[in-house]
Parts: sequence; structure tokens; C-alpha cells
Amino acid sequence: MLTKKGKYGLKALVHLAQLPAGQLAFVGDIASGNNIPKKFLDAILGELRNAGFVQSRKGKEGGYRLARPADEIKVGHVVRVLDGPLAPIPCASRTQYQRCEDCNEATCQVRHLMLEVRQAIAEVLDQRTLAEMRDIVLDDLTVARGIDGLPLTQKVLA
Amino acid sequence: MSVGRTNSIIVVGGGASGVVLAAHLLKSPHPDLRVTLIEKRPHFGQGIAYSTLLSAHVLNVSAAGMSAYADDPGNFWRWLQARGLVSQEQTPQTPFYAPRSVYARYLKELLDELEVREKGTGRLRLIREESLSISPTSSGVEVTLANGTSVVAHLAVLATGHDEQPGAGQGHAIRMGTEADTALDPEARVLVLGTGLSMVDAFLSLEQRGHKGEIVAVSRRGLLPSPHRKGNPIKLDVADIPFGTQLSYFVGWFRDLIRENQKAGIDWRDVVDGLRPFNQKIWQNWPSSAKRRFVEHTKAWWDIHRHRLAPEVHARVTEAVRTGRIRPVAGRVVGIEAGDGFSIDIQSRHTQALETLQVARIYDCTGIARDISTTSNSVVRSLVDRGLARPDPLRLGLDVSAKCEIIAGDGSVSAKILAVGPLTRGTFFEIDAIPDIRVQCARLSKQLLG
Repeated sequence: MLTKKGKYGLKALVHLAQLPAGQLAFVGDIASGNNIPKKFLDAILGELRNAGFVQSRKGKEGGYRLARPADEIKVGHVVRVLDGPLAPIPCASRTQYQRCEDCNEATCQVRHLMLEVRQAIAEVLDQRTLAEMRDIVLDDLTVARGIDGLPLTQKVLA
Repeated sequence: MSVGRTNSIIVVGGGASGVVLAAHLLKSPHPDLRVTLIEKRPHFGQGIAYSTLLSAHVLNVSAAGMSAYADDPGNFWRWLQARGLVSQEQTPQTPFYAPRSVYARYLKELLDELEVREKGTGRLRLIREESLSISPTSSGVEVTLANGTSVVAHLAVLATGHDEQPGAGQGHAIRMGTEADTALDPEARVLVLGTGLSMVDAFLSLEQRGHKGEIVAVSRRGLLPSPHRKGNPIKLDVADIPFGTQLSYFVGWFRDLIRENQKAGIDWRDVVDGLRPFNQKIWQNWPSSAKRRFVEHTKAWWDIHRHRLAPEVHARVTEAVRTGRIRPVAGRVVGIEAGDGFSIDIQSRHTQALETLQVARIYDCTGIARDISTTSNSVVRSLVDRGLARPDPLRLGLDVSAKCEIIAGDGSVSAKILAVGPLTRGTFFEIDAIPDIRVQCARLSKQLLG
């Protein structure tokens, strides 16, 4: 499951990926531009730095930038760092496995299907790069609009 | 690429990886397939790894992992059983480390069987000759042999394995068992460069010859390999593993994983082995900085945990260290003076202190990673010299694509010359052992022949 942390982290990385190579961005600007609580974003960027996806510089001229080109960063790799093992439901993970209190997993069809979903999640997220995510924004909106059957403006207003 | 357009393939190198590749190619039912296997040694299937006759030189992988076929893991085990080399009560789960000469026999018989089976079809041809060079032609490739003739095919696959000669810069060091390895005073002290699996092989050979002198084994960290223990690798999934991070992050994750498993009573080996199916993917997704750091700082630690010794061999090594037969030293050789034997200066890693030693011989057991552009293999050398191939960025082997195609000096990918096995280490990382090579060969056969 993509948590808020994962979502915010990806938004911040897209923000950085839109900048000219090497240019630093202030945490405050990333936060306000993407509607992310700044303190939370500080923690998220710290973790992304530890994992080697972003670099930071301290001081007045400081800020964050991508540690490598956006087409070399896979979305799935970022999500694992922020949210842990990819899993649609806690019982469908090997290393972060949590048993569901209320069901027998040997006979649980839901879990079985979710194991398949886990594979699908990994396949999609590990093929998509940050650069691709940055560049397909319009397509995504078209798809979303198609699904909802609503004109774009109405969806945004809603 | 389908059979028809590409039906003739030359495999250069008939050691273990060449035989395993040929076996996988010949699984294709296509009647027009032509596989030519070229080996310069008198025997196919041995290479450097399996040419030893010493019974103490056992496989470093238990029998169940050594089948030549990726889709038939029990193949080697059944062969052992059919020849009474394991008892009927033993199961494939029983750890069993066969002598390497037995494994060479397995590969030889496997190839013999293929030869008999393909006799009427003409699909397999064996050539005992040294290959000198490979050249692309308009319709395929031409492999020039040392006897002055040449062989043509649609494509060639390099399976030349490890280098036979010590790397440049190893000075006076020689390889164990080569011509230069003449008789020694049994009491003489010898120096071994390296403290890993090859050092252990050298120790076992020296013991066998009745050598009694001290064996000083030097490597940067002086780490000796760990022993195998029977276990069950933990199950991991791609969803669990942090790919594409910086090295320190990954190492932190992996250490935590081992710690958590140890708390649950699981041996670290089962965690290390559980990662094996993902090692190539982990390597390929690392940024180049992480790869470089791994090779420089982490690989020595990884190797002693990942590439382990049969328990009986480990016990012999431990005893030899205890009694002073083997003296592992963490440090580096900073000076060699040749005279009557050699005078060696070793600088300790920890104290920086210099120690001077007299040794009768220097054995190169630095293992398999070396700069490919200094290779003693003429085929590989000539490809690099003509710009048809180049070293990978870390100089662990040849630069190859994820589909095993070699990459030329100008970055172009060859559709006609490919490589398998240790030569492809830069791209596939762990590709020295049969369990990994057979998977690579199966995949390549499918890629080439469908």
C-alpha cells in the first residue's frame, strides 16, 4: 500500500526531476508547491538521502537535488525505501509479514490473490523510472478522466 | 532471432560453461542446428576449475546445486546415484561435496552422450584446438584456430572462463599446478597471494605433495572463507529487496535482515543463500558508485560468507591455522626481491609495520577478478585490441549487454559475438559458479533458438 509518506516522497522527487540538472530546491518550496507538511517532508528527504536518491547541501544556498539522473531512478525502488516491502496487504509480504487476526491464511483466497497483486505492483513500479513518471502526467489525467467519465474541469472542481 | 537465420553457433571454450551451454543449445529440436565446441585442452568439460585430480579438491557447492541443466536440478544427483558415488539412502538434501574430478567426469559423460545422440544429425562438432581470434564477417563470424584453419558460423559465444596466467603486476607469482610450479624443498616457506577459496586449494595441493613449510597467505583483509552448514535458504521476494539504493543503505538493510532472522533461530547462511536468486538483479540496479564501493570495500566480506567451504575442508584449514601451517596476514606485499628464492616485504594492514620474509615460491591465488585487458587469453585479447570488445566499467570482465552480447569499444552492441560465464561478471556479477552459469546458458539458448 502506498502510504502518504510514499506519495509525498514521489511528489518531491518529481518536483526535483523537473528542475534543470544539478539545480537545488529548497525544502520549503517543495513542500508548498506540492502541499506537503514541511516537517514530514524533511524526514522523507532525509531517508531518500540515506538511500542515495537525493543529495543535499546545507546553508543559505542549500537544498536538495537528485543524486542521479531521473531516468536512472526506478519508482519501485523509491517506494521500497519509504514504505518498506511492496505489499497490497500486510499478510502478503515475506519480510514484513503480519498475520491477519481475523482469518486463516491457509484458506484465505483474498491473501492468495493479493500475492499476485504484489507481483503486479513490483512489475509496474520497477519498470517505470522517475523521468517517465514526470513525463506522463497528462496521460494519467486523461486516463483518470476516462475512468470517471467526467470532463477534466469538473473533476478538478470536485 | 529464430533458428533458420541463426542456426550455426560456435562456442569458444569447452570447459564447464562451454559444455553447459552446448548442452542447453542442443535441447532445441531444430534439425538444422549446428553447434561447434572448441577447446584447446585435451579434455572437454574440465577447464581450470575441474581439471584437478586431487580428491581433496571438492566442489564448493553441494551436489544438488551442480546439475548442468537449469530445468533439471536433479541431473547430477541421479548421475552420482547411478554410478554408486552416493548411497541410495542419501537424499539430494544431504550435503555432499563431490571431488571436482568427479564433476569433470560428469560433464565429460554428458558431452559423450550428446555426441553419440547427435552422431547421425551432425548438430554437434567438437574441435580440439586453440582459438586465436574471432572476426565478424558479412554473414556471421569466423574463428581462426592455432593450426591455421578457421571455422565459420552465424555467431560465436565466448565461454573462455577464468584466466590461466597470473595477472600483470603479480610479478614473480605463479599459478599452482602450472609448468612453472616445479618441485619445492618440503620445508621451505611459501607465500600465497590471497586468502580465499583458491588459497585453500593451494594449501590442499601442498599438503598432498607432502609440503611441510609455513604457508603465509596475504590479502588486504586476511579473511578466510566460512564453512557450509546444512540449512534452508529463507524465502525472499522481489517486493522485499531495496534495489537501486546506495551501498550503505543496502548493507544496513541486509544486516538487519540477518539480525532479525538470527533472533528467530535462523542461521546467517540461510539469509545469504536466500538472497542468491536476486543477486544479479541487485547488482544490475545499483548505481555505478555503489558497484564500485562494493568491489572495493564490501566484496571481501561478502565473498567469505557467500562462497563457502565444505565443512571437512574448513576443519582442515582451521587446524592448519591453529598449528601455524597457514599464517593468514592482513596486509599487502610492498616489496619483492628475487635471489635465491624471494625476499618479501609485507606491510600489516592494522599496524603498518613492515615484516620481511624469505620464501621459496609465490603462488597467485588472488582469485578470479582481474583487469580483462591484461588477459592471457588470445581470443579475448584480440577482440579488445581491435576494439570489437571492451572491459566493463569496473574492469571485472568484458562489457556485455543484459542479453550477453559483447559491446564494442565504440559502445555498439554485437549481434554476432556473445559471452557467457565469468567473462560477463561486470554485467551479471555472480556468474562464476554452475548454479548461475546454467541459468544464464538456459536463457541464452532460448534467446538464440527460441
